[in-house]
Amino acid sequence: MLQTLTIALSKGRIFKESLPLLKAADIVPVDDPDTSRKLILDTNQTNIKLVIIRAADVPTYVRFGAADLGIVGKDVLMEFEGDGLYELVDLKIARCRMMVAEPETLAKNDDLGRWSRLRIATKYVNIARRFFSAKGIQTEIIKLYGSMELAPLAGLSDRIVDLVDTGNTLRANKLVEVEHIADISSRLVANTASMRMKHQIVKDVVKQIEQAVG
Amino acid sequence: MADIDRWLLPEGIEEVFPEKARQLEAMRRALLDLFDSWGYDLVMPPMVEFLDALKTGLGQDLDLQTFKLTDQLTGRLMGLRADMTPQVARIESHYIKREAPVRLCYLGPVLRTRPGVFGGSREPLQMGAELFGHVGVQSDVEIVHLLITALELIGIPAPNLGIGHVGIYRELVNESQLEADTEEVLFDALRRKSKPDVQAFLTASKLGDDYKRMFAGLIDLNGEVAEFGVAQAALSVAGPKVQAALQNLEQVIALAAKTLPGLKLYYDLADLRGYRYHTGMVFSAYVAGYGEAIANGGRYDAIGEAFGRARPATGFSADLRILLRMLVDKDVSGIGILAPEDGDSALIEKIQSLRGSGERVIRALPGVADAIMTCCCDRKLEKQDNCWQVVPL
Repeated sequence: MLQTLTIALSKGRIFKESLPLLKAADIVPVDDPDTSRKLILDTNQTNIKLVIIRAADVPTYVRFGAADLGIVGKDVLMEFEGDGLYELVDLKIARCRMMVAEPETLAKNDDLGRWSRLRIATKYVNIARRFFSAKGIQTEIIKLYGSMELAPLAGLSDRIVDLVDTGNTLRANKLVEVEHIADISSRLVANTASMRMKHQIVKDVVKQIEQAVG
Repeated sequence: MADIDRWLLPEGIEEVFPEKARQLEAMRRALLDLFDSWGYDLVMPPMVEFLDALKTGLGQDLDLQTFKLTDQLTGRLMGLRADMTPQVARIESHYIKREAPVRLCYLGPVLRTRPGVFGGSREPLQMGAELFGHVGVQSDVEIVHLLITALELIGIPAPNLGIGHVGIYRELVNESQLEADTEEVLFDALRRKSKPDVQAFLTASKLGDDYKRMFAGLIDLNGEVAEFGVAQAALSVAGPKVQAALQNLEQVIALAAKTLPGLKLYYDLADLRGYRYHTGMVFSAYVAGYGEAIANGGRYDAIGEAFGRARPATGFSADLRILLRMLVDKDVSGIGILAPEDGDSALIEKIQSLRGSGERVIRALPGVADAIMTCCCDRKLEKQDNCWQVVPL
């Protein structure tokens, strides 16, 4: 019997940048994801399906075995509480940096060695908490769902933890990067049981994608 | 508290209703009978113990998972058991002082402070079997064999087995003299099979090239056991202790394949689950359609040391609630015999003899219409020719 394989992909930029890698493994969606409203996309291979979901849901789908493989940013994995996923390949797509940033005016006289009791606005609560507690710095973390750059300007927080790609948004809002937390790129993740139960097809696909990454 | 909240159970706590309870109990009895027929003696560890005892040895990782309360008689902290395996190890090393191998099994609820990431239950129904006092592949394979037999007995279709050996990684670490705090980084990356993270670690480390190559290789050393030769070749330059661990794993695989010819076996040298207390081979059972292992086990020698007697040991455990979920619902309704509410002494005798033969006889109650009673019966007792007969409803 042909083994089936479900791959969970993060909506948006990661999905677009994943397509060439999947194509290298001879996986091409049949439906046009831009026009189709289907949530499960068929591919040229009848036994392989793609599910397109919100990035933050990808680890959950894969962790619980609803998908065998997934493509998701390292930021989401770092924020995801449960472990038990295999992070097989660094796909080197959707690259950016996880940074601490603060207003230029604050940065002028800021001494990182004397940080204490910071107010941090972020979407990445767990990452921020771990990063600062590893440095022994007390924080008050304010969870936001978007437009983190606004928080210091509006007086909601002193600093932010966020993803930075080109840095244009930061500059436009007169913020500067002060601490580097991690380099981020997308990872190919696998469910631990699928690695065993479906290892033939999982290994094949992973190998082809790995070669495509180079 | 609103009325509606009052009967809600705490998160991760569930009750089992008649049909499922019947199925679960049948499973429980079948398993205990099976263990008994293999010579595994049942033990019943207590629900509550002093925390110190619970946390000793195997239980180190369970601190956060253990519900705690104060003993009003001694002022000491007690814990509700979160795992029965350490308790069984304690019982074995402390009370059953036989030199010969000891086989023990157990089955009962444990409590956890946090729901499992997967099952969501905070009250797993843990069953397991442990074999103490023997070092060797025979006891490891006996435990694997017993687990697979148990799963098949209760109707789990075609379990697969993932098998590994924590000694391989541990001896590589010892040999290469990695320092403990840096080793944790490598351990974490290997557990996640994260090639980029392992590579980053190795690039920064001062390990020799051979060790770098072998540590990096561990991630890919998994697959069908027929390809186990690849693993041996990849680690051929490692020292004698790694070779011994590899050889041990090879023997376990060979004997398991011989004992259970139909079983799908899969090896994985980076499977480091339970690394802190396991000392040898480790294994997990998987079934199609469930994203996580349904049973785990392995060797954990010298665990009884904390209780005064170091004994080699190997065993497995599983959560019956999760296993129950894998099974198709069996229709167990409509299997009783309805008996009239009043009758002569012959009726009472007849009922007794039917019950004695394993039938389910339900007495009608005055004022309750037969229609209600018949919902759980498929036959009834009727007097024909002065004699009570079982007839279809």
